[in-house]
Amino acid sequence: MSDIRKWFMKAHDKSKDNGGVSKAANPAPTDTDSAPGGQESSARRKTSKYFPAEKQKPKDEQREELPAKRKVQNGSDEKPPPSKKPSKIDTDDDFVLPKSKNSVDVTPSKKLKSGSGRGVAQKAVDTVDSDEDDAKDLESPVKSGGRGRGGRGASGAPAAGRGRGGGRGGFMNFGERKDPPHKGEKEVPEGAPDCLAGLTFVISGTLDSLEREEAEDLIKRYGGRITGSNYLLCDEDIGGRKSAKAKELGTAFLTEDGLFDMIRSSNRGKGQSKEKSKESAVSVPASLPKKSPQKTELKTAKVSEKGSTTTVSSTKQRGQAIQHSSLTWTEKYRPKIPNEITGNQSLVNQLHNWLAHWNDQFLGTGNKGKGKKQNDPGAKKAVLLSGTPGIGKTTSAKLVSQMLGFQTIEVNASDSRGKADANISKGIGGSNANSIKELVSNEALSVNMDRSKHPKTVLIMDEVDGMSAGDRGGIADLIASIKISKIPIICICNDRYSQKLKSLVNYCLLLSFRKPTKQQMAKRLMQVANAEGLQVNEIALEELAERVNGDMRMALNQLQYMSLSMSVIQYDDIRRRLLSSSKDEDISPFTAVDKLFGFNGGKLRMDERIDLSMSDPDLVPLIIQENYINYRPSSSAKDDSGVKRMNLIARAAESIGDGDIINGERNFNRFGGWLGKNSTMSKNYRLLEDMHVHILSSRESSSGRETLRLEYLTVLLKQLTGPLREMSKDEAVKQVVEFMNTYSISQEDFDTIVELSKFQGHPNPLEGIPPAVKAALTKAYNEGSKRRMVRAADLVTLPGMKKAPKKRIAAMLEPSDDVFGEENDDALPENEENSSDTEDLEGTTNGEKLQAELQSLNSKGIEVQMDLKGTGNSSGKKAPAGRGRGRGGKVASGSAEKKGGRGSGSGAGLGAKRKR
Amino acid sequence: MLWVDKYRPKTLDQVMVHQETAQNLKKLVTEQDCPHLLFYGPSGSGKKTLIMALLRQIFGPSAEKVKVENRNWKIDAGSRTIDLELTTLSSTNHVELSPSDVGFQDRYIVQEIIKEMAKNRPIDTKGKKGFKVLVLNEVDKLSREAQHSLRRTMEKYSASCRLILCCNSSSKVTEAIRSRCLNIRINAPSEEQIIKVLEFIGKKENLHLPSGFAARVAEKSNRSLRRAILSFETCRVQQYPFKSNQAILPMDWEEYISEIAIDIMKEQSPKRFPLQHLPYLIVLLFQIRGKVYELLINCIPPEMILKRLLHELLKKLDAELKHEVCHWAAYYEHRMRLGQKAIFHIEGTEKSYFGIESAHTTYEINLTLEVGEMSELEDKF
Repeated sequence: MSDIRKWFMKAHDKSKDNGGVSKAANPAPTDTDSAPGGQESSARRKTSKYFPAEKQKPKDEQREELPAKRKVQNGSDEKPPPSKKPSKIDTDDDFVLPKSKNSVDVTPSKKLKSGSGRGVAQKAVDTVDSDEDDAKDLESPVKSGGRGRGGRGASGAPAAGRGRGGGRGGFMNFGERKDPPHKGEKEVPEGAPDCLAGLTFVISGTLDSLEREEAEDLIKRYGGRITGSNYLLCDEDIGGRKSAKAKELGTAFLTEDGLFDMIRSSNRGKGQSKEKSKESAVSVPASLPKKSPQKTELKTAKVSEKGSTTTVSSTKQRGQAIQHSSLTWTEKYRPKIPNEITGNQSLVNQLHNWLAHWNDQFLGTGNKGKGKKQNDPGAKKAVLLSGTPGIGKTTSAKLVSQMLGFQTIEVNASDSRGKADANISKGIGGSNANSIKELVSNEALSVNMDRSKHPKTVLIMDEVDGMSAGDRGGIADLIASIKISKIPIICICNDRYSQKLKSLVNYCLLLSFRKPTKQQMAKRLMQVANAEGLQVNEIALEELAERVNGDMRMALNQLQYMSLSMSVIQYDDIRRRLLSSSKDEDISPFTAVDKLFGFNGGKLRMDERIDLSMSDPDLVPLIIQENYINYRPSSSAKDDSGVKRMNLIARAAESIGDGDIINGERNFNRFGGWLGKNSTMSKNYRLLEDMHVHILSSRESSSGRETLRLEYLTVLLKQLTGPLREMSKDEAVKQVVEFMNTYSISQEDFDTIVELSKFQGHPNPLEGIPPAVKAALTKAYNEGSKRRMVRAADLVTLPGMKKAPKKRIAAMLEPSDDVFGEENDDALPENEENSSDTEDLEGTTNGEKLQAELQSLNSKGIEVQMDLKGTGNSSGKKAPAGRGRGRGGKVASGSAEKKGGRGSGSGAGLGAKRKR
Repeated sequence: MLWVDKYRPKTLDQVMVHQETAQNLKKLVTEQDCPHLLFYGPSGSGKKTLIMALLRQIFGPSAEKVKVENRNWKIDAGSRTIDLELTTLSSTNHVELSPSDVGFQDRYIVQEIIKEMAKNRPIDTKGKKGFKVLVLNEVDKLSREAQHSLRRTMEKYSASCRLILCCNSSSKVTEAIRSRCLNIRINAPSEEQIIKVLEFIGKKENLHLPSGFAARVAEKSNRSLRRAILSFETCRVQQYPFKSNQAILPMDWEEYISEIAIDIMKEQSPKRFPLQHLPYLIVLLFQIRGKVYELLINCIPPEMILKRLLHELLKKLDAELKHEVCHWAAYYEHRMRLGQKAIFHIEGTEKSYFGIESAHTTYEINLTLEVGEMSELEDKF
């Protein structure tokens, strides 16, 4: 592996030697950045040679001019990788120096390009042109045009002016920015595509009819660039800082009308230059495919050349990248060498250094002390790469390790990374963490033994901040691993400040990847686009870069997606596409309102608007309502009295009101009504189950719960309420209480029965029962419960037992004829056994002496007999029980009372207990 | 006491309806060791009664001394322990329970209870039955796992414990279990038999029965003896002396369902709201949904709702629609039992069938949807 490094270095030297040549045929595959760049530029040069039309050349120049400029900047603030040099030289010798080209050169170049646009240049130059004249000029042809593009575009514009302009203008405050005086009154001209390409503008002050945002949009659409310094676009000489500077620099001033004219003239010129532009449009794609095969050829050539030296795997990889064009672009154009990585070059270098010196520092014999002393980044045994997704952390980690000849072992969130099993005997097969441990500790041996043979290894822990729930103790284990590690570990995370990583941070060298600038991204994207034969201008790509928020991966994906449907991608395409794709993001209500009121708000589709307003259906309408009066509707553009505007506002108010009404009805999804009902149902089931248990324990019936509900309930209800309604009070009460006793229906069960028989829209089953009777029933029942045999004893606490058995001992109800054991409660456990024995015995003696048995059984009684003073009147049938009256010892009676007390409360208590 | 319970035959000899079966059972348990038994048949046909009588036959009157117990089981299922609570009815010789009450964890109950019973095997004194009996209700509602685990334990512990299984439909009991049991089908009693029983009760209660009254009760009872006796008694409470043309009230919930059916049929006449036809239908749909909720709240099992509703609708529908409605009802009942995730499919089918069928068919579908949905919800909670 180490030879690869050697080789790599050699390549470097070579490329250095070659200097500015950097021909496409340059065999050095690792000739970073310069290789593709060089090839491309040379390719481009070729194309321009093929098509020496005067239109083509400036275009190319403009395209390349800016990156070149950027490169200069980059070069200054970054430690320039050696390989950068060639590319710089490359651009230098190819193009005119950008600086010298500033404002002076522009006009000629423009002239060149816009072919027929003769008068334009003059107009652009005359800065003091008062806009009034122009406005007049323009107003006459406009007429309905006001409502056209410009008009609609301007609809919500003041918002933009107020909200965003402030931020951009820097010194501009909210109120300071005036509305454009002739807003929406001018027709925004259509121009030839890219007619402003290569020109840069500064916008200052209030324009005549365009909002700043609109103007920016317009300029960008035609390939122009904001924040350059070719033109100062302003309508009034406000004498601000910008204009002063512009004057000082000699920048050309441009009014809005001038801008329009520029665009328009390009359009007019289109007639003549049509063939040419067509030609170029055709020719460029034509040239590109030609180029890419060439390139791939080269690459394969490289590969074959390399075959002897590189590892097989990397060869394969490359081969794949070339052969399968079906690969996603993110894979296909994954940087192959560290210098290809977009942005963060210094970090990559740092990582490179760290990794390169790792072995010396931590494995070098006796060097440990030295390693500690050193205050350089190498002192940390692991490195933590952090940064937003898609900016190439994993790629750089892999590339650097690959370059240094490390074998990478990547562990990411898809693997379980829990704490390693302490018990190593379980083997490394099971837990991944174990294998890491194994790896980390065993490496020492192999490295020491025969370094040359054994490939060096590096562990890449991807997405460490994702180590969570499933990976218990993962971080701690990772730290432990780092401490003992004999191999370098690269950790990768998105959020360095995550709480989880707090402890890890101390053990790692921190490298925070930044988002690449949009220019950097655009450059790389351009390379990709060229390689794929896609025609895109740089402005569009910059827009794309900006929209994806620095996520290179996403940008590539978007680009690939778009490439499926079109081969020429315009600024507008990207804008439109990303506008719709950005919908998926989470939008805060404020951004939503901002968008609705934004200068493009009028162009939104209805569903987009709905999406926006639904981002927070409560808050968005409120914000809208608060602000809509401030905005100047574009339809009221030419309206002096304000009547029109008032009307529009009135309509808006009405609509907002409508919206609220609909909202009030909540026509959209109601909260599942069943959820509420469900809890009622489960409560009812619980009650039913209580009743079921009671009835079962009465031993009169052994039906199932459902049968009870479906078939018994009606009769029970009739039996319980019928008499109350028809018979005289005392009689009825007596009968009902008796019935309840038979089935050991408690008062609560009674309520349950009534509750379950209630149906909406049906009369209440208790209807027609005089309250007096109800009261009498309750009273009678409660009275009865004192003397009643408790049939269903809910959770009887057995005195003398430490812990109440969790059993609900249902009472047996055979009235006891005899006067045995008052203290049944205490004796219960033993009795239970006894009785079972006796019963078993009796079982053999057939069922003949039934009566006798019963008595004897009862005497021992499993049952909890709470019956005591006179079961008397209420259950006349059980008269014999009355005999037990005298027997009630203090204990028993006391407990009976307790029981009674519980009797009434049992239902509730039960209910509570059974809640599961 | 209700007549149903009062006149429930206590011994196999007293049985009035399935005399032959009863005698066979008696012979079975007296002459030889009792095998596992599986009773199946429609509700109200006397399965439980027969089982209780059988137990009494085996163990004597002590079998009637049951106690109700809310038992807790702690089951060690590998990494966690499962707490289960179930109401059991037990005497010294038998335990009765409905394992399906604990839902999908019924498997543990089945295994656990049988093992437990096998552990406490009664001492085999001379002439004594050396086994306990486990009565399992609603076996057809047992989960598949529970049935499978039952099959093994049935064999393993058959020395110490006999199973009596009881269910409505044997088709939901796995083949394996059925083959291990003696299957006893209990037919629904014929109307004549019901009339006989009713007359017997009438005589015992000293009631004057107008001619044909018992027949009408029997007819209404849908051949369920329990139904018949209960509604007989309801009539008695309602009005006595009986009149021969006395109305026999349906159960409260049945009444309610028939109201729903009427509602469904009602929307067929759009004349009533010619202008707002569709909104009215929607309103109606909401009403119906409310009523279905109400039924469910009142602990009516969704299957019963569906069944009854279909029954009511069939009475009123045109012949050519009957087939369609039946099909969908069956379809949705099936899905309902599958439970849980079918809700999405249901939504899908709702969309696809809307507008294809004639108006009230779709509403029937809709309604079944609702019921289906509910059951799914139930499953979730």
